[in-house]
Amino acid sequence: MSAAAFVVLDAVVLRPMRRNLARTTLAVLAIALGIALGSSIYLINRSAADEISLAARSLYGLADLSVESVGETLQDTLYPSIARLPGVAVASPEIEIEARLADRPRASIKLIGVDAFRYAEMQPAIARTGNDSDVALELLNPSSVFLSATAARELGLSKGEVLNVQVGLRVEPLEIAGVLPANVLRESAGLIDIATAQWKFDRLGRLSRINLRLKSGVSLKQMKSSLQQLQQGQALRITTPGEATDDALRLSRAYRANLTALALVALFTGGFLVYSTQALMALRRRREFAILHALGVTRLQQLWLNLSATAVLGLLGSAIGIALGVLLANVGLRTLGQAVGAGYFSQNAAPVNLHPVEIALFAAVGMLVALAGALRPSLEASKVSTAAALKAGDVLSAYSPANPVALTLAFLLGIAVLLVPPIAGLPLPGYVSIAILLIATVAAMPAFIRAVLKIRPKTNFVAYEIAIAELAGTARYAALSVSAIVVSFSLMVAMAIMVSSFRTSLDEWTQKMLPADLYLRVGYVGQSAHMDESLARSLATLSGVSRIEVSRLSEASLNPELPPVVLIARSFDVDAIEDSLWITAKATARAPDDTTPIWVSEAAADLFDLAAGDLIEMQVGEARLETFVQGLWRDYEHQNGAILIQRDTYTRLNGDRAINTIWFWLSEDASLRSVRDALVANLPPGVQYDIRQPGEIRQLSLRAFDRTFAITYVLEIVAVAIGLFGIAAGISAQVLARRGEFGALRHIGFTRGQIGGMLAIEGSVLGAMGVLAGLAMGVVVSLILIYIVNRQSFHWSMDLHAPVSLLTSLALALVACSALIALLSGRQAMGVDVVRAVKEDW
Amino acid sequence: MLLIDNVAKTFGSQPAREVLSDVSLRICAGQYIAIMGESGSGKSTLLNLIAGLDLPDRGRVIFEGRVLSELDDSQRTILRRAHLGFVFQAFHLLPHLSLERNVGLPLALNGIHGARAQQRIDEILDAVGLSSRRRSMPANLSGGEMQRAAVARALVHRPKLVLADEPTGNLDAESAQEVLALLRIQLKQDGAAGILVTHSPAAAETTDEIFRLHRGRLSASTSVHETI
Ligand SMILES: Nc1ncnc2c1ncn2[C@@H]1O[C@H](COP(=O)(O)OP(=O)(O)OP(=O)(O)O)[C@@H](O)[C@H]1O
Ligand SMILES: [Mg+2]
Repeated sequence: MSAAAFVVLDAVVLRPMRRNLARTTLAVLAIALGIALGSSIYLINRSAADEISLAARSLYGLADLSVESVGETLQDTLYPSIARLPGVAVASPEIEIEARLADRPRASIKLIGVDAFRYAEMQPAIARTGNDSDVALELLNPSSVFLSATAARELGLSKGEVLNVQVGLRVEPLEIAGVLPANVLRESAGLIDIATAQWKFDRLGRLSRINLRLKSGVSLKQMKSSLQQLQQGQALRITTPGEATDDALRLSRAYRANLTALALVALFTGGFLVYSTQALMALRRRREFAILHALGVTRLQQLWLNLSATAVLGLLGSAIGIALGVLLANVGLRTLGQAVGAGYFSQNAAPVNLHPVEIALFAAVGMLVALAGALRPSLEASKVSTAAALKAGDVLSAYSPANPVALTLAFLLGIAVLLVPPIAGLPLPGYVSIAILLIATVAAMPAFIRAVLKIRPKTNFVAYEIAIAELAGTARYAALSVSAIVVSFSLMVAMAIMVSSFRTSLDEWTQKMLPADLYLRVGYVGQSAHMDESLARSLATLSGVSRIEVSRLSEASLNPELPPVVLIARSFDVDAIEDSLWITAKATARAPDDTTPIWVSEAAADLFDLAAGDLIEMQVGEARLETFVQGLWRDYEHQNGAILIQRDTYTRLNGDRAINTIWFWLSEDASLRSVRDALVANLPPGVQYDIRQPGEIRQLSLRAFDRTFAITYVLEIVAVAIGLFGIAAGISAQVLARRGEFGALRHIGFTRGQIGGMLAIEGSVLGAMGVLAGLAMGVVVSLILIYIVNRQSFHWSMDLHAPVSLLTSLALALVACSALIALLSGRQAMGVDVVRAVKEDW
Repeated sequence: MLLIDNVAKTFGSQPAREVLSDVSLRICAGQYIAIMGESGSGKSTLLNLIAGLDLPDRGRVIFEGRVLSELDDSQRTILRRAHLGFVFQAFHLLPHLSLERNVGLPLALNGIHGARAQQRIDEILDAVGLSSRRRSMPANLSGGEMQRAAVARALVHRPKLVLADEPTGNLDAESAQEVLALLRIQLKQDGAAGILVTHSPAAAETTDEIFRLHRGRLSASTSVHETI
């Protein structure tokens, strides 16, 4: 670099940065924070996704294809015919059982029943289990189980100890014959012999899937079609391990996508902060740029220097952010585990790190955000009219209104984007719309500030009048100071409204869904534990119980391409269905005679594109059923959809008379306690069950909800803190620029108190504007989140519920904060040396 | 009306720099004087002491019978608000107030509003020849116009003393003469005293008496040319 160029660089870039060290640091930190949040959430996501897909993949070992049934299970008569198909090298039959742990509350383990020798061919690594004897032989022992490494660690069990599982109401002890190598079965599961499994868990003749390894040269397509011909009256689902992995990932994708969106929010706010600091700096240095230009620095040089300096800042921020992000991700994965991931992430993940390509990508993102933020201010700075800026008494900022047509178009575009359907099942248009609306709001801020100030009340209070005149005169400048708070507060408001709507709806929903006085649950979907009718009948006769209803949890398939939905078979009075279900849509007609009425959850309705009154074929086990969608109901429990069917229909269909839940209504004079005690006394000893009152269930679900959303609260607070920093940076820059003015006012006879008051008024009015705009925009964004984003990603509908008092106190606190910040940044303006500032020209 | 009594002012500790070592001055009502001196000789420092914006290390500044160093900051501010007017080199009109409101500021500060205030504002704007520009914003005025507005602002509330620190420093010769003439006429009209700090002999000659600040001391000057 030539000496002359260095002098220019020093004058245009380095010195100002050093002089504005605090603000420069703030901009770097804002970028760093955005990148840190972004990369840590990305890393947590990636490790979760890796974990999920590895787990899904490890289930299949070397298999190329897996054959499952569309309904519940396959008949094992299918196995020989599949194994004999030309092209099949190995066929390994498996049955999967969700076994209830008898000696631990609410815990279960996945047991996989396998044909030991076939399984060993799919998972050669199993030989390294470290037993002296052959694992395959060991597995044949009907009381043996091999635990996966994860299961052994989570349960704290090791070889030789006993695993007690519950089948129906019976306890089955299994001896742990060994722990598998970590890469054989990644998830928390156990292996047992398939015949033992079928026999002990009452699944004689049933299979969950048959994994196939193909002979070399056999194409997947060929194999799929010969399998399809073999159906034998059962609908088969043929997947590759890759597809199965995708299914597993899809379960958590909506949640992960929303977390990513939150990280983007942080980056977005950071970008606005860069924009406002750069713009403020450019405005403040008008005169300086003019002088440099007059001295011979070309405008292009100026622009180039400014942008390259910003790029360096962006890189610096990214570097800090990436380091911080990796740290955060590792700490988060280790300590928060379940809380962060709503149960999607395993607690014992290995340390994660970014690959060089990812580092480069994040660095580029940080740099681009910084550049995007600095582009407009730098362009403007390079266009400063030299003559005007050199004139004494030049004003900091001229009012240049945003083009109203462009603004209107931007708002309309933001709304129009909402009409675009979700992309790949993700609510991307919703997020794009939110971003456009926020940018448009920030662009509209100067006009908004001037409009509001025009209708303000007039007084004879001098400090107030001057403060208002100052704000109106520097509307653009003022708008810059509040842009970060507008963005962060609107996001905070939106999240608060969304979370509160969700929480309130969830609360009302649990109350609606739980009309009985007491619930007894044994087992869950696909779990081995359950009760039988005779037990239910005897419990119904206990004194104090006036009436019971029972339900069974099972699975059904509406579309062989998609994962099955939960089928709830419940005894209930069809006419009183709204007492126990939150019906959101009803068919006007009654079900046609040859069809079965079903009630479909909103998630299932979305996933399978169903509306009330539709007819659809449903597969339950081996039975096919013509069903009629009698109504839709709101459901926050089953994310992949649930269908309610009358229990009579269900038992007639497949003879399954097992019961998972009994609902108890008590007689008026009964004591809850004594009925509860009587129930416990009537259950076989050593059995795991849940007895709960509606209040407890409600509390549990709200607590789970709060845990899941804890991370969003943290992110909101961070965003608002960044916004407040923005106000502080803006006001202190302005105070510095206005020192001469304050000096003159002190001469004329303003007291320190009056100047302080003036600044406090400016700060609070400014804060109030930001808060008002943020509030208005936040409501709009919350509507988008509630009615579009959530609906599309989780298929949950909710009723709007704004936490008015929370928002009001937050808004007031923010306004007070900005007044205080203005006062503090103005402290120097009230010192003695301000008197000397009258002789500074600028 | 204004008595400066053996005033001294030192800045800094190491090395301490005594800017004013022993300054005495008496100004009567209606008297208009100029203070000249090299750059850095302490002229602005002296004006600050007179305005009560800073306090002397030794000696007293007595304005209207009150010792400034015995008043607290807000009392001095109120005194200044009522009885002093200022004209600055860099004008210091508030950029976001119209001319009219800039000029009316001292009246508002002294609690004078409404028709009475308006009448006085009209009168003074008329006197400085800016009636037609009353609604303009400062940025749209020339330097001379801005300084005329500043003169109007300094005099609008009929102060007893006007302090002008290099009021013509940013102006061309013609505008400078215009502003100085205006200042003198208005001071004499209202019977206000005035202190003009300037480097320009021509400017100094528009006053009644010229003082020279040199090596921390103030002395009456017989000839303006002595100060060059
Ligand atoms: N607050 C202060 N702190 C330290 N030194 C000061 C302070 N105020 C003034 N000085 C010093 O006192 C000396 C006189 O300053 P002053 O501003 O009064 O000079 P001046 O005569 O008005 O000069 P000019 O004609 O250039 O305006 C200068 O050397 C200045 O550096
Ligand atoms: Mg001076």
